[in-house]
This record gives sequence, C-alpha cells and structure tokens, in this order.
Amino acid sequence: MSEGGQAMTEMTAGAAPPRDRNAGRMRQLSWWERYINIIGPLVMIIALSVGMAVSQPRFFAFDNLMIILQDAAIYMVLGMAMTIVITGKGIDLSIGAVAVLAALVMAILIKDHGWGPYPAMGVALVIGLACGTLNGLVITQFRVPDLLATLAMDQIYRGIGLVLAAGLVLARFPEPIPFLGRGRIADLIPTAAIVGLIALAAGFVLYRYTWLGRYAIAIGGNREAAQLTGINIDRQKVYHYALMGFCAAIAGILLTGRLNAIQATAGMGFALHTIAAVVVGGTALFGGRGTMFGTLVGVLLLAMVTNALVMLRFQFFWQLVASGVIIIASIGFYAWVQRRQGTGGRGDD
Amino acid sequence: MTDQTPILQMRGINKSFGGLRALIDVDLDLMPAEVLAIVGDNGAGKSTLIKVLTGVHTADSGEIRIAGRPVSIRSRRESMDAGIAAVYQNLGLVDTLPAPQNVFLGIEPIRRILGIPFLDNAAMRARTVEILRNRVGVSLPDLDAPTRSFSGGQRQAVAIARAVAGTDLKVLVMDEPTAALGPEETRNTLNLVRAVRARGTAVILISHNLHHVFAVADRVQVMRGGRRAGVVSTRTATRKDVLGLIVGADVDEDAHV
Ligand SMILES: Nc1ncnc2c1ncn2[C@@H]1O[C@H](COP(=O)(O)OP(=O)(O)OP(=O)(O)O)[C@@H](O)[C@H]1O
Ligand SMILES: [Mg+2]
Repeated sequence: MSEGGQAMTEMTAGAAPPRDRNAGRMRQLSWWERYINIIGPLVMIIALSVGMAVSQPRFFAFDNLMIILQDAAIYMVLGMAMTIVITGKGIDLSIGAVAVLAALVMAILIKDHGWGPYPAMGVALVIGLACGTLNGLVITQFRVPDLLATLAMDQIYRGIGLVLAAGLVLARFPEPIPFLGRGRIADLIPTAAIVGLIALAAGFVLYRYTWLGRYAIAIGGNREAAQLTGINIDRQKVYHYALMGFCAAIAGILLTGRLNAIQATAGMGFALHTIAAVVVGGTALFGGRGTMFGTLVGVLLLAMVTNALVMLRFQFFWQLVASGVIIIASIGFYAWVQRRQGTGGRGDD
Repeated sequence: MTDQTPILQMRGINKSFGGLRALIDVDLDLMPAEVLAIVGDNGAGKSTLIKVLTGVHTADSGEIRIAGRPVSIRSRRESMDAGIAAVYQNLGLVDTLPAPQNVFLGIEPIRRILGIPFLDNAAMRARTVEILRNRVGVSLPDLDAPTRSFSGGQRQAVAIARAVAGTDLKVLVMDEPTAALGPEETRNTLNLVRAVRARGTAVILISHNLHHVFAVADRVQVMRGGRRAGVVSTRTATRKDVLGLIVGADVDEDAHV
C-alpha cells in the first residue's frame, strides 16, 4: 500500500481508534434470542409432544415416529427448493401439478411402454426440470407476476396430466420406486425421509455456500441492489424455478412409490402445505431471509400435528383448521419478534 | 497533467426518459489520480450521468473511452469489468445480509472443494475486517448482524467498503457519499477519497456540499438542465464562481435553455 493509505490509517487511528468506539455496545444476546426465529415452531413442537405424551403415549412409539418422518419426507424435498424460491421473492403454486405430471409420464412409460424404472425416473426428473424452467421463463420473459404465472401453469400442467391419464389409476411399479416411496432402510428408517434429509442438507449448502442462495437473498432482500451489483436477476430466478421443478419431480416419484399408484388428481395440496411449512419455519414470505433448518422444523411440525390429530381421531377438516391456526400463530409470532427487535419495517426492499 | 491521456472520457452522451431529456450532449474528462466533483441542482442529471457510466442506464448516444480505448458499457457487469466501481445515492445494500456478504456481493471469493466452487464466507469476513479498519476507518458493532440494524453512517461505510473491495479499480464513482453521515464519518469518507486517489485511482464525486467539494476535488464539473454548464479547477475558481454556474446567472446562457 502506498503512502496515501498509510497516512489515512494513521489519521483515523490517531483521531479515534476505530476498533474501540463501538466496543462494548453490543449486548451479548442470550442463546434463545439468537435463535428466536426458529424458537416459535420448536416451542410448538415441544408443547405438542408434552400434550401427546400425556394423552397418547403411543405417539412416541418408534413406528409412529417413523410414520411422521415418512409423511414429512415429500415436504422436505419440496420445502428445500421452496425456501430458495421464496427467499428470492418468488412463489410456486404449480408444484403439485408438476410432481404429478412427471410421475404420470414415468408411470405410463413403465406400464404402457415397457420402460425400465431408471430411465423412466430420469425422464420424470427431466420433465420436472423443464416445467420449472418454463415457469421461470414465463415469469422473467413475459413479466407475469410469480403468483399468477405459477397459478396458470398449475392449470396447464394439471390439464396435460388429465389428458394423459384421465380416470386412470396406474399402480404396481417395479423397484426401486416402492422402496423409495415407502421402503425402509435396514427395515427401520423410511427411505423417503433419507432422501428428504439429503435434499435439505444439499439445500443448506446451496443456501449458505453457493451463488444460488446468496443471490436469492440479495434479490429478495433488495432487488435494486442486486441489479446494481451486476447479478443477472432473470437468470437466477429461472434457476430457482428449475430447481423447484426438479424437486417437484423427485416428490412425484416418492409419492408414486408411497402409494405404489398414481393418478392425475393427486398432489393437490402440495403447494400450500409446502409454503406453509417454509413460512412456519421462519422464511420471510416476501423474500430476503430464510433458513433450511427452519424449513425442516416447519415440515416436522406440520407432519406431527397431522399425525396427532389422526391419532386423536379428529376428522380431516380439523387438520385443516389446525394447520391454519399454526400458520397464523407463526406469522404473528415473527411479526412480534420483529417489532420487538425494532427492525420490522426498516430497509427491506 | 493536462497533456496526459484521460483515464476516462465521455463524449456527447445523450439520455432521455420518455420525453424528458435527462442528458444532452454531455462530455466528461477524468484524469488519472484526480478527484473530479460533479455538482448541480436537483434533477440536473448528475446521477443519470454516472448511471450511464456504471451501466445502470444505457446512453441513447455517445462514446465512452477508458485510457483512450473505446469501451461498450451496456450492463453493470461490463462497467465493473472495465474497472469502474460505484457507491450509489441510495446505498444499494441488501439489508438482510451481514456486512461482509454485502461487501463481496457479486465478487465473492471462492474456495473449490472437489472442483466445485463454494463461497468462502470466512475469507469475506476476514477481508472485510481489514478493509474497514485500514481503508474506510469506520467500526461496526457486529459484523455478523444483518446491515438493517446499522445506522446510516455504518451502512455508508459498508457501501464504500464494497466499492473499494474490487481488484483492478480504475475509477471510483461516489454519488453523495456524505449525505447521510455525521461529522466523524464525513471526515473519514473525505479522507477515504484522498486515500483512494493517493493510490492512483481516479474518483468522481457527486456532492451538494461545496465545502466538501473544495476540500477534496481537483476540478469541478457543473451540470445544469441536463447539460455540462462548465468545468473549473478548484485551485483557480471560487465557490462563488461554481454557485454562479450552478444557478446559471449568466443571462446569455439562459437564453439558450
Ligand atoms: N429512471 C428514470 N426514469 C425517468 N426519469 C428519470 C429517471 N431517473 C432520473 N430521471 C429524471 O432525470 C432527471 C435527472 O435526474 P438525476 O437523478 O440524474 O438528477 P440529479 O442531478 O442526480 O439530482 P439530485 O441532486 O436530486 O440527486 C430528473 O428530472 C429525473 O426526474
Ligand atoms: Mg442524484
């Protein structure tokens, strides 16, 4: 460094040691304040567990816990990609239709055309990737808002699925499809849950240690700043939706294996359930902030609630009521945390 | 100094927004290692001129040369690749990211593991500490907190750190860098401008504060109504001269507009 930099360092150091001026101004946050974003759903999980321990100890039977994991698995895969999509200020309502379309094509190739399971699964993944990429292109090239674009694409994909397999139930698939969907590794742990956890772990790395996640945060946090930095926003958004479509196809394969059957009307609630789990997990619905760990917690919480309600013999509509209440309680809780930290309205966007 | 090739030349730049002519045949010359201030009333076209230079807006016509060589600047990327860094009027920070990740946004250091590029967050943090301490001279309370919790001056420091973090910096553009700052941070920022110039980087500084302009700038370019109203040297001209150019006291010139 030349003399200018030197002089400058001395000047500022002489005037006021920069390092010390703010020393001691940061109060050490207690551990629960640091993790307050995930504490809400964690507390709900604990409360639910205590309640179930009292009323239905069967809830904690190993087998039931594995069923919960099994139920959560598909949403782990979907939630991973949705966390990135939502962080980048997007949303994808078409994932149920994409999952089913990919699964239907795979099923038809296997049942009607004698394809082996692996090439058929490969085709399913390519279809998911293509549908997701198409979503991204519609949003970025035609400037259709994410919500409306994916709502319309949902209709299109659902319609194509119905044309392909209206009224059909395609069933009984060769391994490894049932093994992936409902098998157990070592007769203990659901394979699907392992797939889901691997997806979330990969998502964690993508979110924290790659351009994909970093630029998603930048786009969702401050679109103009992202643009000024030279980030190609359109391209990044296409990547987000392509990843989402790819994960939807994986979910479609898991769903097919789970029931060992697939029909064109399956997967109807995928999008809303996934978005709920992601938002309950602390990802900001309007972008810029999120965590993969929170998404895992959100997915598990919703799966546990559903399981508990079934076990307590509540009717299906009570499950809907319960997930609605949880979503509102979580979002209210985050809003409260933000107000408390005094950072609510500042800065974002 | 005058017989050197300018590090940056802008010639005949025009830019319209719909029917509004924001820039009309604007020229700009920037010498190596000089500080050029751009002054003018609100809406005179200062920000628009540097946004053309930094690739935010594309000029309708005109030419830009870096070190005598014509360059095409149609995107932020192309501008950055040409060695131009910018601190914008509205800062342009991502408030949900901590300071180091803002400083290196778009120029992230990479660590390869099995050939796959991963972001090196630890290196970003270490280099940000170094840049803030040695080059910007502003301390931050918490490097890992999102910048949304920072004060205006602290956020400004992060924005400046980002502008000087890039390697191969030829021109640093600052749009009203002291507008949100307290006296201490203002002094640090002006020192920073001098330090950047002392290292051989040319600086374009937009400011409404003629006191600051005369404290750091070598020359002043005055904008008025989208045109270049004049260029003066701070050694020979007075603040009154510059004020006169800004408001267009010259009756003849008014007749043209
Ligand atoms: N993106 C845009 N779309 C339309 N008009 C614009 C745009 N950006 C700037 N303008 C107009 O161009 C003119 C010049 O604006 P500019 O921002 O360059 O002014 P400025 O000299 O930087 O002013 P200030 O001192 O207030 O920052 C103004 O009349 C402004 O309204
Ligand atoms: Mg301006």
